[in-house]
Parts: sequence; structure tokens; C-alpha cells
Amino acid sequence: MASIPLDDTVSERTTWASSVRVWVASMRAWIFFFALVIGFEVWARMEYHTTFLLNPFNASSIAVFAVGPLLLALGQTFVVISGGIDLSVGFTMGFAAVVFSKILNATTGAVWDPLAFLLAAAVALLASAIPGLINGLLIAKLRIPPFIGTLGMYGVARGTAYLLAGGTTVPISNPLVSFIGNGSLFSVPITVLVTVVITGAMMFLLSQSRFGQHVYAIGGSRQASLRAGINVARNTVALYVLSALTAGIGGILYTARFTAGAAQAGEPLLLDSIAAVVIGGASLFGGSGTITGTVIGALIIAIIQYGLVFVNVEPFWQFVAVGIVIIISVLVDQTQKQLSGGRSDE
Amino acid sequence: MKSWHIKAGLFASLLSAFAGWSDYAYAAGKKYTIALIPGLTTDAFYITMHKGAQVAADALGVDLVFQGAPEFNPVQQVPVLNAIIGRKPDAILIAPTDKEQLVSPLKKAVDSGIPVITVDTFIGNGRYQTGTGEADFPLSYIASDNIQGGVIAAKALAKAIGEKGKVYVSNVKPNISTTDQREQGFKDEMKKYPNITVLETQFNDDDANKAAAQFQSVYARNPDLAGVFGANLFSATGAANGAKQANAQGKVKVVAFDAPQSIVSDIKAGNIDIAIAQHPAEIGFYGVVTAYAHLIGQSVPPLIGTGFTVIDKSNVDDPNVKRFIYSD
Amino acid sequence: MSEQPVLRVQSVSKRFGGVHALENVSLELNPGEVLALAGDNGAGKSTLIKIISGVHQPDEGQIFYDGAEVNFENPHKAREQGIETIYQDLALADNLDVGANVFLGREPLKRMFGLPVLDRKRMRNEAAEALRVLDIRINRFDLPLRSLSGGQRQAVAIGRAIHWKAKVLIMDEPTAALGVPEQRKVIALIKSLKQSGVGVIFISHNLVDIFAVSDRIVVLRRGQKVGETATQATNSDEIVRWMVGG
Repeated sequence: MASIPLDDTVSERTTWASSVRVWVASMRAWIFFFALVIGFEVWARMEYHTTFLLNPFNASSIAVFAVGPLLLALGQTFVVISGGIDLSVGFTMGFAAVVFSKILNATTGAVWDPLAFLLAAAVALLASAIPGLINGLLIAKLRIPPFIGTLGMYGVARGTAYLLAGGTTVPISNPLVSFIGNGSLFSVPITVLVTVVITGAMMFLLSQSRFGQHVYAIGGSRQASLRAGINVARNTVALYVLSALTAGIGGILYTARFTAGAAQAGEPLLLDSIAAVVIGGASLFGGSGTITGTVIGALIIAIIQYGLVFVNVEPFWQFVAVGIVIIISVLVDQTQKQLSGGRSDE
Repeated sequence: MKSWHIKAGLFASLLSAFAGWSDYAYAAGKKYTIALIPGLTTDAFYITMHKGAQVAADALGVDLVFQGAPEFNPVQQVPVLNAIIGRKPDAILIAPTDKEQLVSPLKKAVDSGIPVITVDTFIGNGRYQTGTGEADFPLSYIASDNIQGGVIAAKALAKAIGEKGKVYVSNVKPNISTTDQREQGFKDEMKKYPNITVLETQFNDDDANKAAAQFQSVYARNPDLAGVFGANLFSATGAANGAKQANAQGKVKVVAFDAPQSIVSDIKAGNIDIAIAQHPAEIGFYGVVTAYAHLIGQSVPPLIGTGFTVIDKSNVDDPNVKRFIYSD
Repeated sequence: MSEQPVLRVQSVSKRFGGVHALENVSLELNPGEVLALAGDNGAGKSTLIKIISGVHQPDEGQIFYDGAEVNFENPHKAREQGIETIYQDLALADNLDVGANVFLGREPLKRMFGLPVLDRKRMRNEAAEALRVLDIRINRFDLPLRSLSGGQRQAVAIGRAIHWKAKVLIMDEPTAALGVPEQRKVIALIKSLKQSGVGVIFISHNLVDIFAVSDRIVVLRRGQKVGETATQATNSDEIVRWMVGG
């Protein structure tokens, strides 16, 4: 039998220059990250004779700053890879924050503090899963476009959170919860530790589990996934629930940190979280993205906003800078797709 | 009762966007209807204002309608305003969400014969009935004197830091009349203290997380930071949390503008050192009274300033002070 | 060709509303045989393969697979038993690599620190093995399929069927989207499949391809079988005449 050579096209495309560009494109988040850190360091040294990079306080502040947007972005990464988007996470976070503080206030004093915390956290997580479940069912079963379905849920979660909170913030007073929100272990803030653990779990789930593989497959080709016997509907529901859960954890940590639950807690974070996912290399058309990328994306946004205050730049440049990073990321992404023979027909 | 109003507000503001008002068939008798449109419905400040307004309305036998958008935002407030205009109340009390963008929508109300009074925030420059400007048509502006509020905040902070050191203003975003004025009053007053330096203002978009990070960034480069003035709730709680995370609690004094329930525990826990409480119930009360006075043919002053109360650890439990904590 | 047919379709009919999409169609497929299904658009070719692959269920008639009557409720059931379909658009996830596509929906797991994790090494190795059996060379197994050529992608789809021990492989217009050189490669692939004993149902518009690979030709017109012949015993004029009628 004659051998059938089928490898010609790839070698044609892979010239030296284009492999460098593909590499740059795939590493863009890291390149941005290091460029920013080094840029701020140089700026701080030249202008203020101080260090940006080597000040552990800066690192810890940026990490704490990134916790909220990152938690929303973790679940969002799964959703975006599957080809969807979840616009409801901000208010799901607020909803969880309010539920958490209400339950905590009802149980603190009545039961042992840690128990009150666990109880409140469990109820808040269950409550936050509800909008995710409804999102998933709307999108998977009724085939409502994710943008529309989650936009509707954005309104519902928001209204419910405000109603529940009675239109104001709900202060809590539980020393353990306050310690979780503001304390440190081995001089690392607990909120950061919690986020690191959750990030690790999400990384495992996305890159090592069958569920994660199916999320990629659904984003790459829904049709192929269906034909391969993947239960697309069940996976879709699961990933919107997952997105709501990471938002719920965000709401709990927010409440613990600011010792008050607020319905609007997550609202300003929604766009930052989507930006983090995109800067991290995920395509809004689905099929690609990584948790590592999203973490870097969230850190990039936090570093820009923190760093520009640090070097004392006019505040409005923060928006401009984040916008520019997003645009460059998307442009680089498209270049990469073209170079690697991306097809737009699916 | 309270939560019923909020629910009604939320639902109605949604409904009004689609359906306009269901007929609010009132016999066109002598009973006046006054509408109160807050900056946002989901805020203890405006809820307290509503309560004060309701007290006046009950006393005067006036029907009070409370309708607004869930967010402080002209894009959402204007449709609510238009729906109210369509209902033809006898007077409108409104907290405009933008100095400029609410001018022409409110002009429509006046053109259709409905007198307008602004409460808490204002349009144009806040000087009404002068016969000069475009935006001087509202009858009256009833509010805490926010410039004065900024001055009071500055005085309290200066005293707390021993009249020396670096301070900055943590603010929401520019072009909101009240927070702009608080910042202005604060900065003007601080000029009187030669040993106090006011750093660049940080705008946080009403995001406590961002306000906290901004505090930490400012503090990282200015370890000698002595104080922060949070021009609204999230600006203050955010900065306070930044101080906590930076182990600078107590060392950097935090002054908060506004006093919802949560401020009490924040003051007791030492997160926030001083809170400047406005008197929103007073604003609501005098808003209704002023509108009523006009409707029965009395002249009204173009500007009514309401008071402030300075709250700190020493007086937070005093009943005379406690009554100025906003209700929820 | 004396063994029993791997697939037998017996007097199958299918109506959609009032339209007879298929009427009393019968055919047989032997192991190692390539059966070409010819016919104009709307002749019933795709309804027939959808019935065989479990997408539709017949209104009348029976299907025998491996000697026993079968009734597939869905395509998944058919695949489990060894009837694989390669669609025109291939049904591949372009963003995943070769191994992931071969194992799509049936990914093998291994244990790592007690946790079940994807066995990517096994996926890659076994995919490479499946393609090696077909004598296909792909030099990079870690790239997403979008960076492969059309022929290579076709090969992955076929390799997937081979790996899962398909006994019947249905190919719907496998050469339609390809350039001429790649069409030749696919034809060569089908020939090598045949040697491994798989029964292939091959749907094509292209008579040249049909004559190049098939052993037998069945022609459908307006839902009915209008002709069946050994490929050696006919010519393209006769097939065209059957297809258009007259």
C-alpha cells in the first residue's frame, strides 16, 4: 500500500517569521503582564525614586484587588469557551452577598460563629446557583441566545437582590467572617488564598476533566459535540451553574471583606471580568481560552488600575489603558487565527 | 410599609418604561398630588427623604407619589420623569442625576405647567429664579449645603489628624453636583491649613473594591498619608477597607459622607472615624412643604439649606445623634 | 463475498407529512464492500442514511445489522454498535487536536492523586495508531484541527471511525469540499478501509469517484430504488439514465 502524504499544507504555512508571530500571539497576555510590571517599575524609579515591583505591599494590594473580578471571570471563562456569555454574574454576586449577610445576621449569636458562617455560605451558594440554573435551562433547553437569556437574568437577579436588601447595604457583625475577609495566613490575605484554591480547582476542571474537554468541544462545534454523543444540554446547564457559583463565592468574600452585603457589589466588576477573559486569550466566538490566561488577564487589569494611581496619572487614563489592552488582545488573537489557518465557517 | 414602597417603586419603574401609567383616576378635587423622584430608589438616603416627605404630605393632606430608577443615572431617570409628567401631578420634586442632562427634560415639565423643585441635587448652577440662565426655572433647591458639608468634613478631618499631613478625596465620578460640591468645599477649607497637602482625587465609579485598591496604591507611595475623605458611602467604605488591608486603620483617618445603618458598626469597629450625616428627612419634609406653599399661592425661597450632624465614636450612641442615621 | 451481509435494509419506507421520502427500499452491504449510493438531489439518499444511522426511524420495513433486527432510537445507539457516519461537514471540533477528536465524547480517564483526569497521552497515541493503520501521516498531533488541511481532517474523521471499530461506515459526500489532489487521497483512504473489512456506504454526486472506489452502485430516484448493479458491469451513461429517469 502506498503511503499517503497528508502533511504538506502545515509545513507550507509554518515559516520561521510566522511561527514567531504565532508564539507572540499565544503569549500575549504574559507579554502584556511583564511589560506593565516593568513599565511601572521604570516609571516609579525615574519619577519617584521608589520601587513598584519589589514592594510586597503592592503585590498583596493588587492580589486583593483582583479577587472580585477574577472570581467572576473564572466561571465566565468556561461560559466564553463554550461560545456563550454570562451577563448576569455581577448581580448574581450581589444577590449572593445579600443572602449571605441576611442568613449570617439571622444565625450569628444563635449558633457557634463558624457554624453560622458555614450555614450562611451554603445557603448563599445554593441561592446563587438558582440564577445559573435558570440561565442554563433557558439557553440549553429553550435555545435562547446566551446574551439575551443572561441579560434577562441580570435584571431578575438585580431586582431580587435589591428587594431582599430593602434597597440598602446589609451590615454584618461576625468576627470570624470579618477575619476571613480581612485577615491573613502566613502574611497572605485569606481572600487571596481562597481564590487561589478555587482557581486551582477551576484549572483542573477545565484542563483535566472530561467536563472541561466537552466545554471546549461545544465551543468548537456544537454540532460535532452532539454527533459525538456529548450531552450538550446538561453540560451547558452545568457551566452556567458553575459561573453563578464562582460569582456567589465572590459575593461571600465581598461581604466578608466590607462587612456588609450590597446588591450592587458585583455590578462594576462584570465588564472587568469579561475583559480579563478576553485579554487572557479566550475568543468570544468560543472554543479557546485558559484559566491561566484569565488569571493573567485579571491581574493585568488590576495592575493597570493600581499602577496608574501609584504613578499618579490622571484617573481617566485607567479606562483608556484597559480599553487599549483589550483591543490589542483581540487584534492579536485574530492575527493568530489567520496565521494558523483559522476558518470562519463554523 | 417601607419595603412595600420599594417594591412598588421597582416594579413601577419597570412597568412605566413599557406601558405608561395605568389610570390613576383621582377625582380632580382640591387634593394636590406631588411626585417625588429620587436619584435612585435603592438607597437609604432617598428612602429616608421619602419618609420625611410622607410626614409632610400626611400633615398637609397631599398625595405623595414616589417613583424613580434603581440606579443613579440620567438614562434611567428621564423615562421615569417623562412618565410622571404624563400623569400631570401638581408639582414635581426631583433629585436630578446630572447637572446638564436633566435640564431639558425638566423644562418640559415646567412647559406643561408643572412646577419643579429640586431636592438633594440640582441642575445648572443651583441658583434658580434669577432670570438669567437657561436652567434657573425650578422654583427652589432644597438640600444640605454640600459645599458646607465638605467644609465640615475638612474641619473634622483636619482636627483628627492634628492639622498636618497628606489627605485625598475618594470620589464617585465627576459631574454629580453634590459630590463635586463636597469635594470643592473640602478642598477650599483645607487651603486654610498650611501643613495639610491634598493629593489628587481618586474616582472609583461607586465600586468599593476599586476605592480600596486606590487607597492602597496612594498609601503605598505616600506612607505618611494621614486622612481620606470619602465623598459617598462606597467611596468611604472602600477607602476604609483599603486602610484595614494596609494595617493603617486608625493611623489614616477616614471621614465618610452620609450615614446609613452600616456606618454605625463601621464607626464602632474603627473602620470609619467620622461620618457626616445629612438630614434627608428634613429635605423631603421641606420639599413637600415648599411645593404646597407654592400651590396655595405663597412665594417660596429659591434655596433652602438643611443641616448636618457630625458622628464619631463618642456620640454614635447618643439618641439625638442616632436619629440622623438613615433608616432602611 | 460469500459471508452474510453486515447490513440489510428490508423494504423501508419513510414519509414526511404527505411526501414519500422513501418507498420500499431494500439494500445489502457486505463487509469489505464499498456501496455507492447515487441519485439526484431529493432522491432520498440522505433520508436513507439517516435511517441507517439512527437519526430517523422508518415508518415501515426493517433493518438487520450483523444478522439481527435493530431499531436505533438515536445516532448514539447506532454508533455504539459500530455504525459510524462521516458527514459532509465532518463533525469535528476544529479547536481540538487529533486525539481529542478521535475520542470526542468517549475520552479515556486515568487516576492522578486519586482524581480522574483525561488520559491525553493515550488519546494521542491511540489516535496516531488509528491513523497509522490507515497509513496516514500527520506530523503534529498537538495542533488544533483547524491548522490541518481538508484531506487531513477527513482522515481524522475516518480514523475516528476505525478506532471505534466501525463495521459500517457511511460517508456523505466525503470529497465534495476538497480540492482535486485531496479527493484522490480520500479515495485512496476508502480503498484501504475496504481492505480492513469495513463496509462502506459512499454517497457522491461525482461519478468519477463512484467508479473509482465502489464495488456496487444503488441508484435512487424520488424515494425509490431504480437500479442496482455491480460497478464493473455498468458505465456512467447507464447510471445517469437511471438517476434522471427515462
